[in-house]
Amino acid sequence: MRTDEELFELYRGGSRDAFEILFSRYHRKVIHFAYRMTGEQARAEEAAQETFLRVARAAGTWQPTARFSTWLYTIARRTTLNYIRDEKDGGEKVSILPGEEDKDGQPAPQLPGPKALNPEEMAWSAEVRERFAAALQRLPETYRAAFVLNRGEGLSYEEVASVLGITVQAVKSRIFRAREMLMESLAEILP
Amino acid sequence: MKCLDWKEKISGYIDGEISPAEVREVEGHLEACESCRALERRMRAVGGGVASIETSVSTDFREKLFARLEAEELLPRRRSLFVFSLRWAALPLAAAAAFGLFLLVSPEKGRDAILPQGGLPRVAQQSPPSSASGIERPVATAAAVLSPEEREIVAHLEVLEDPAALEDQGDADTIEIFGTARGRRG
Repeated sequence: MRTDEELFELYRGGSRDAFEILFSRYHRKVIHFAYRMTGEQARAEEAAQETFLRVARAAGTWQPTARFSTWLYTIARRTTLNYIRDEKDGGEKVSILPGEEDKDGQPAPQLPGPKALNPEEMAWSAEVRERFAAALQRLPETYRAAFVLNRGEGLSYEEVASVLGITVQAVKSRIFRAREMLMESLAEILP
Repeated sequence: MKCLDWKEKISGYIDGEISPAEVREVEGHLEACESCRALERRMRAVGGGVASIETSVSTDFREKLFARLEAEELLPRRRSLFVFSLRWAALPLAAAAAFGLFLLVSPEKGRDAILPQGGLPRVAQQSPPSSASGIERPVATAAAVLSPEEREIVAHLEVLEDPAALEDQGDADTIEIFGTARGRRG
């Protein structure tokens, strides 16, 4: 099986098949990443489309020494950042505070927490997932990106550092802070 | 070391991003500290929560993207199977067309080309049309000069077409040739 880097080299040489294989490997990941970052499906798909277009447009600038996946996520993160900024210009961001209220001013409902023996493989109900997604959106973008790339996309701290252009120590700190904020926000539904 | 100081290390431990020596330290502490074990469970849960957030992909996502890529000429267009087949069939088609043209322009040569090797028997080629008998014969196509032997055959055609006359002459070869004609007539 060809590596991502070999495939992208073939695409740069004019192979449509190589691009299609890369697309099949990554399009879901990019869409999920964009969804976790934006919290909205339509926006996530737009951002994912834009990401692949930018990847194709920038193919000439890619250095074969760089990992394709890291480069792809760098573009995906910058693209979603633009979408988030666009949204921010027209909307409002709510910070995570203990005992917070919903956007409509009503107290947050008490939801049944996830139940499973392994906390990482919990069966999250649709309601809890929604609640979690909303809490994730309220994290500062820099924390959210680090946490999503690591826990959602499976990138190592080093890879996250490369995507975000920060040090590994900064990644470690951001992921820890993201965890703390989410635990505060979701205290009533966590085990 | 207070529990508060273990928090960041536990976070790194969950992500598999601390050294083996630190792993031993963290595991030793977790074994002894109930509150840090609860913290670890919650930390793992929020990590699992991120992974659980997924969305569906629109059925036309790929189609839309590839159309945009092709419009910007960022992706080579896929040739249709029809065009592909036509390309490979072009040479045989051209050869067939040339052959057909050859047959149209040069009917004599064309006919020769589809006849058995050696062509029809000369007798059959040069026999005149028989309006009386109604026997279908190959049309003579050229006014070739007949050899004396051929002239003799033509002169006796009527006789040859009459089976009774053939019997009288005892020409075995000729009988065989026109035997078919006799059959058809019957």
